Amino acid sequence: MVSATDATMHTDDNNAPAALRYANASAMGVALGFVLLASFVFAGRGIGASGAFAHVTGSVIDAVRPGFLASRPTLADRLPAGVNLWDDWIVWQVLGVCVGAALSAKLAGRWGRSPSAEKNNSQTGTSLAGGVLMGVGARFAYGCTSGLALSGGALLATGAWLFIFVAFGTATLVAFIARTTTRATS
Amino acid sequence: MSFATAATALPIGIAFGFVLERAGLGDSRVIAGQFTGRNFAVVRVMFGAIVTAMLGVMWLGAAGWINADAIAMPPTNIAAQTIGAIIFGGGFALASLCPGTACVAAASGKRAGVVAVVGLLLGTASTAFLWPVVDGVMNAGLHEGARLPEDFGVPTGAVVFTVTALAIVAMAVARRSKFDHTRAWYQPATLEWVALSLAASFWLTEAKPQQSPSRLAAIASEITNEADHVDPLELAEWIKNSKPGLRIIDVRDNVDSNTYVIPGARVLPLDSVPFMEVASNELVVLYSEGGAHAAQGWVLLRARGLKNVRVLKDGMAAWEDEVMSPAPPARSASTGTSAEIADSATVRFKHARALALWFGGHPRGSDESTQLAVPVSSTSRPISPPKPATRVRRRNTC
Repeated sequence: MVSATDATMHTDDNNAPAALRYANASAMGVALGFVLLASFVFAGRGIGASGAFAHVTGSVIDAVRPGFLASRPTLADRLPAGVNLWDDWIVWQVLGVCVGAALSAKLAGRWGRSPSAEKNNSQTGTSLAGGVLMGVGARFAYGCTSGLALSGGALLATGAWLFIFVAFGTATLVAFIARTTTRATS
Repeated sequence: MSFATAATALPIGIAFGFVLERAGLGDSRVIAGQFTGRNFAVVRVMFGAIVTAMLGVMWLGAAGWINADAIAMPPTNIAAQTIGAIIFGGGFALASLCPGTACVAAASGKRAGVVAVVGLLLGTASTAFLWPVVDGVMNAGLHEGARLPEDFGVPTGAVVFTVTALAIVAMAVARRSKFDHTRAWYQPATLEWVALSLAASFWLTEAKPQQSPSRLAAIASEITNEADHVDPLELAEWIKNSKPGLRIIDVRDNVDSNTYVIPGARVLPLDSVPFMEVASNELVVLYSEGGAHAAQGWVLLRARGLKNVRVLKDGMAAWEDEVMSPAPPARSASTGTSAEIADSATVRFKHARALALWFGGHPRGSDESTQLAVPVSSTSRPISPPKPATRVRRRNTC
């Protein structure tokens, strides 16, 4: 079912080296589904990412300005203070993500090979701005593409499906506007 | 560090990161391709994973191997999540990475990933400073455990089937964009047929309670996991906060008009319990004198196929002891860390005392016990009419 041509990545880079060829996305989707299912069954919760950022940031803010988070009790849902990071499920899980990703990249021989498009300074600024917006958006929405959209989506959470359509819709719209404006200016 | 936490979190995280990197989602070009319609890897991974995990949870739950309702899930807050998703979506398009894939990109040595991770930390921190501006919007209308089936009033199976069908349509669109040369866009793959049949059969077999031994065993395991009961204090909170859909049933014998009944409860003999009509969004709480009769009523209702049924733990005796006349924590010689425990016991008692006064009870060992904060005289405090379903669920922290 999965053929070699199917497994290649298709970008503008027509002569991408073998190391940049990625696995079949549908097969990886099913594999990720089993990882998520294992998390549901063995950990009683879904997988996530932005939660770890929230717990780490909350601990840092609490250390730098003690009492600041405590003075905003309604924020505790989004940015909890006093999480014991060494005993925090989501922090360990994201550490695992880093280990797994590094391992996979090394095995495929593509570790540290940034695509050329990512190397210019304007892209660095865009990535930083994108990160900031996602940081804010994920806190407002109680999660990100992993913890809310993916894990919540599989459990049929209403908010997760709202997030999937609104976030992907906005992203597609922003990318479309960005493309038409750059085309108009160039 | 807790070994138990890391023992599940780390392997699951490693597998998660490995799969994302394999699929190319740590490469911002792949995600950028999704938003410009050139590469459908994101949608294929995402829908593939959602459908696989969804069918897994539903079928394991239906087979009684897991309690699907006990899995922590994210809450729903329409305003906060719409605003959040718009801001997030903008950032998603700019970075062409999401928080999870930014970690993947950073860990696979890509500059864009490291930069996005720094941005994410800054953005997360700035939420704290933005908070006074957005606080009011962000915390209004929070619904814990809200699910599409209850919110739209359709069977879970119908939603499962719709999501599966939607995913297969998305896969067909992805194939149509010529990134998959193995078959014509309108030909579902074998796996898609498997998913569709699992979804269809789940829908067809759903909501037809059968007394199979495995189903009864699932009910039995709820009893051993103590998922079947509610603590008196928790029930008191529910009554005080007019929890939507709450229905309290008194199954004691010999209840007459002079007997004290929990506010809002309806008296119903045990032999009428199997016939009681329950709406799907109602949570039934049974109680009896000590708890035995209520527990038997619980089994009857669960066997009938009702899911949201609880028993008041230790019955009326516990209600009188813990809610109506709570006792302050015993002052015993404490050692080391138990000072904290004593503290939390005091906090619990204060809470219980406030509840007792609200219900017109008499807390013990308290100067203010004779003062009634809120006089509640009638035994039939009205319970608000059932609103859309409230499922009692743990929240996922992401």
